[in-house]
Amino acid sequence: MAFDYQVPAVPAENGLSEPTQQAKEAEVPQRSGTAPAENRRSKIWGYLGLALATLIVALPLYFVLMTSFKTHGDIYSNPVSWIPSPFAPENYSYVWNTLNFDRYFLNSVIITVSLVIIEVSFGVLSAYAFAFIRFPGSSLLFFLVIGTLMVPNEITIISNYALVAQLGWRNTFTGIIVPLAGVAFGTFLMRNHFRSLPKEIFEAATMDGAGFFRTLFKVVLPMSWPTLMAFVLITAVTEWNQYLWPFLVSDTEKVAPLQIGLTQLQDVEGLTNWGPVMAGTILTTIPMIVLFLLLQKSMIKGLTAGAVKG
Amino acid sequence: MPNVVLLIVFTYRPLIDNIRLSFYNWNISSTRPATFVGLQNYIEWASNPVSWQIVWQTIIFTVVAVFGSMVIGLALALLLDRKLKGRNFVRSLIFAPYVISGAAIGVAFQFVFDPGYGLIQDLLGRVGMDSPDFYSSPGWALFMVTATYVWKNLGYTFVIYLAALQGLRKDLDEAAEIDRTPRARKFFRVTLPQLRPTTFFLSITVLLNSLQVFDIINVMTAGGPLGTSTTTLVFQVYQETFVNSRAGYGAAVATIMFLAVLVITVVQVRMQDKEN
Amino acid sequence: MIISRRSVFTLAGLGIATAGLSACAGTGGSASQQQEGSGTLQFWSNHPGSSRDLEQKLIDAWNEANPDTPAELIDGGADYEELGQKFNAALAGGDLPDVIVASDVTWFNFAFTEATTPLDDLWAENDIDTSTYVETLLEDYNFEGKHYGVPYSRSTPLMYWYTADLEKACLPTDRGPQTWQEFAEEWGPKLKEATGKPALVVADGSNYLDWYFQGAFWTFGGAYSDEWDLKFTDPKTVEAGKFLQKMVQDGLVSVVKDSANDFGIGNASGLLESTGSLGGLKESAQGDFITTYLPGPKPGTTTGGAGLAIPAGISDERKAVAVKFIDFMTNTENTITFTQETGYMPVRSDAADVPEQAKYMEENPNAETAIRQLEENTKPQDFARVFVNGGGQAIGGALDKIVAGQDVEEVFSALQDELQATIDRDIKPNL
Repeated sequence: MAFDYQVPAVPAENGLSEPTQQAKEAEVPQRSGTAPAENRRSKIWGYLGLALATLIVALPLYFVLMTSFKTHGDIYSNPVSWIPSPFAPENYSYVWNTLNFDRYFLNSVIITVSLVIIEVSFGVLSAYAFAFIRFPGSSLLFFLVIGTLMVPNEITIISNYALVAQLGWRNTFTGIIVPLAGVAFGTFLMRNHFRSLPKEIFEAATMDGAGFFRTLFKVVLPMSWPTLMAFVLITAVTEWNQYLWPFLVSDTEKVAPLQIGLTQLQDVEGLTNWGPVMAGTILTTIPMIVLFLLLQKSMIKGLTAGAVKG
Repeated sequence: MPNVVLLIVFTYRPLIDNIRLSFYNWNISSTRPATFVGLQNYIEWASNPVSWQIVWQTIIFTVVAVFGSMVIGLALALLLDRKLKGRNFVRSLIFAPYVISGAAIGVAFQFVFDPGYGLIQDLLGRVGMDSPDFYSSPGWALFMVTATYVWKNLGYTFVIYLAALQGLRKDLDEAAEIDRTPRARKFFRVTLPQLRPTTFFLSITVLLNSLQVFDIINVMTAGGPLGTSTTTLVFQVYQETFVNSRAGYGAAVATIMFLAVLVITVVQVRMQDKEN
Repeated sequence: MIISRRSVFTLAGLGIATAGLSACAGTGGSASQQQEGSGTLQFWSNHPGSSRDLEQKLIDAWNEANPDTPAELIDGGADYEELGQKFNAALAGGDLPDVIVASDVTWFNFAFTEATTPLDDLWAENDIDTSTYVETLLEDYNFEGKHYGVPYSRSTPLMYWYTADLEKACLPTDRGPQTWQEFAEEWGPKLKEATGKPALVVADGSNYLDWYFQGAFWTFGGAYSDEWDLKFTDPKTVEAGKFLQKMVQDGLVSVVKDSANDFGIGNASGLLESTGSLGGLKESAQGDFITTYLPGPKPGTTTGGAGLAIPAGISDERKAVAVKFIDFMTNTENTITFTQETGYMPVRSDAADVPEQAKYMEENPNAETAIRQLEENTKPQDFARVFVNGGGQAIGGALDKIVAGQDVEEVFSALQDELQATIDRDIKPNL
């Protein structure tokens, strides 16, 4: 039942043989003459769209970036100051010196890398099992997995905290990582993707006598590169930004990730100087942007590789 | 499957704990045993008009967040799937907000929305308009948190759609190309149906994610103005449990929310099944 | 296939086993034991007033003097709410800290639910002298004759005025308005006319308007409550509510999210804010400003901020160390250091006798305002705001509605019903 669907079978012929298509066909020759012009026009629209998107997304980002270089008074200037004056790169050195930044950073990397490795392995294997192995109760089990997406973590933390404390895992990486390691999102994503792969490939692989793992690594994964990279990326971002759970379980900078270290820059009563807070935010975000740039390339490379083999 | 074990231990066990707790009156800090009160928490919730206001706000927020981020995300993915100069840069740019934590965005956006010194009042001021009271008018406050949420999560729908577009079978595209199918028609006849699995996937994950929005609301408005104007269900759970220390009542709200989400998701899945 | 089915049973078994393991979790069962610690005192703080480095310095000094009972500073979160949340998790799950920071709105709930311990016996057993604590600040933590906390980072609301604006409006520059009537009839209109800006800016209901404006209700003869007796429908309380509404409608008072920064960029002539903003405003304000008392008749305002408390569920040995540690953190010398670096008020009355502090006060008249006001112009907060769970927030929301122009009587009577229900349900049965 649930969450099942096959590759949507919409071959081109079907679409074109719809009655409405015939009505349009008359226009075809007429348009063939204007095709290059239309192409250019659509390019222009494309660039316009690009510019608009850039503006809406970039303007606030630009503002955040500039704020990280502003002094306190400059942040609150009215009219808004578009270029920091005076330019205050000392916000960054302040963050670096106030926090034990490298320690928190290392903790974040340990937590995120462990979780990405665990979750991606679990996610791919579970998805593969759900997609290709029929076993009794598999759809019920799958529904259980997806069901976890419906449970907000606000209701799980107290109970999990009690369990982790009883196990003596407080203020340890194990305590932070294990409760977060179950993967529902990735299982869902990858299973959907696996299902959309052409069936013939598996039949061919099975006929060749390829085993479970061989098929997975030699046939299925190479065809799934873009989706897999999206999975890796989203997992990394989610875990990098975890706050509530690591906050409750960790006590000291021995294990606490960056997001928790950053709260030291804020003040509860009175004025927070937002320049360093923004600088800290930018510093924390950069690794994820770099990761995106790296993975984006392999998303595209994976696609071309997959296309050749498929 | 160790994965399923983890999920059962760390999600379903707490969930069951939570449902049990919803029948008790329990102050979260209390060392005294909780008292069993049956359905009283549920009755109190349902008979309080504020609860229904919160439900309504949750619906508005979720519907706008889901449609907004999916439609815009798809449009951007289509745009950037084309061979345009500078697309790699713009792709990274659109994804950037998604990697920033919600709390940080909430903090940063006060410099965008604040009617006293924000970016928007500056821009509106240049064309001679007054800035709306984003923080004190209930409608504008809800608009503000919703817009911020969509802005932040565009990167997610965008990346998933982009990955899907790139994985599409190009032969279908080419077939349509040869037939000179108009672009819009090609989109509705060829591309969109091919994207249906992705759309379905996104509609579920974005819905579930947006129902659990917490950071942005907590930092930007703390659920206010007027006390509850931007409070969503999950924020109410948090407030009741941790701020008002009424863990039993909070658990009841959480259970109601969980059941509602369960029903919505099952309906979504059924609809998807029917279409196929 | 068979393997899969078996694994289903296995995991079902595991699920049940873990559920059993934590059967008592979530009902506070584990907090009733007397927990032994790790030997190191755990101090959970959210570092009020950006005091992390300072707290660490004080703890280093403690560790040097008491190598047998070392202490460790733990980041308890970004604000008092987060710290409360972390403490609640510890109450439910175990591993309690030794000392926590508890705010004006969280300490009572912890005391009332017996999550934190009364300190009086501990003081007596460990020869701790509490007579030098500022009495009003210490008495804030008194519940049924026992003290559940010690003042630590304590603040009071002040009024801030730009000197230049006062001069422009031909108003005195050595005092604030003495009554709210004087503000409404003279200060407000004069300042507004002279500068074209609102005369006073104050934070909205999500940012503790209920705290800042509490004293104003008293000056009208009203209150949020008299002990557990709610006073929102009292004609005098309603009158004060209408006054607030009228001030906003006349453009004399503006209510915004971030009032300190709004004043800082010069959007208003005056500001009603905590002493905690003093340090920041010194740097960011658009010119010289004075600080004044809140309008009378006295008492015109209250105190706030946070204190230190000890969890009830730890062993007696740990409690003994904890109470000494608290005494150390708030001793005369350390409270002076803390005050001068953060802007909070000294919590020991003999601090003023120390020459170093006397000199500091002389050089910083604005800091002195708070300390003098504490003696002359404050009283403890109303129960409805600080002792009723969610009370402060509910009152803040109601004041927001009044500011937005809703009918004062209706808003307050709804608020009264809501809080009365909470009191009847959560407080009365356990008193």
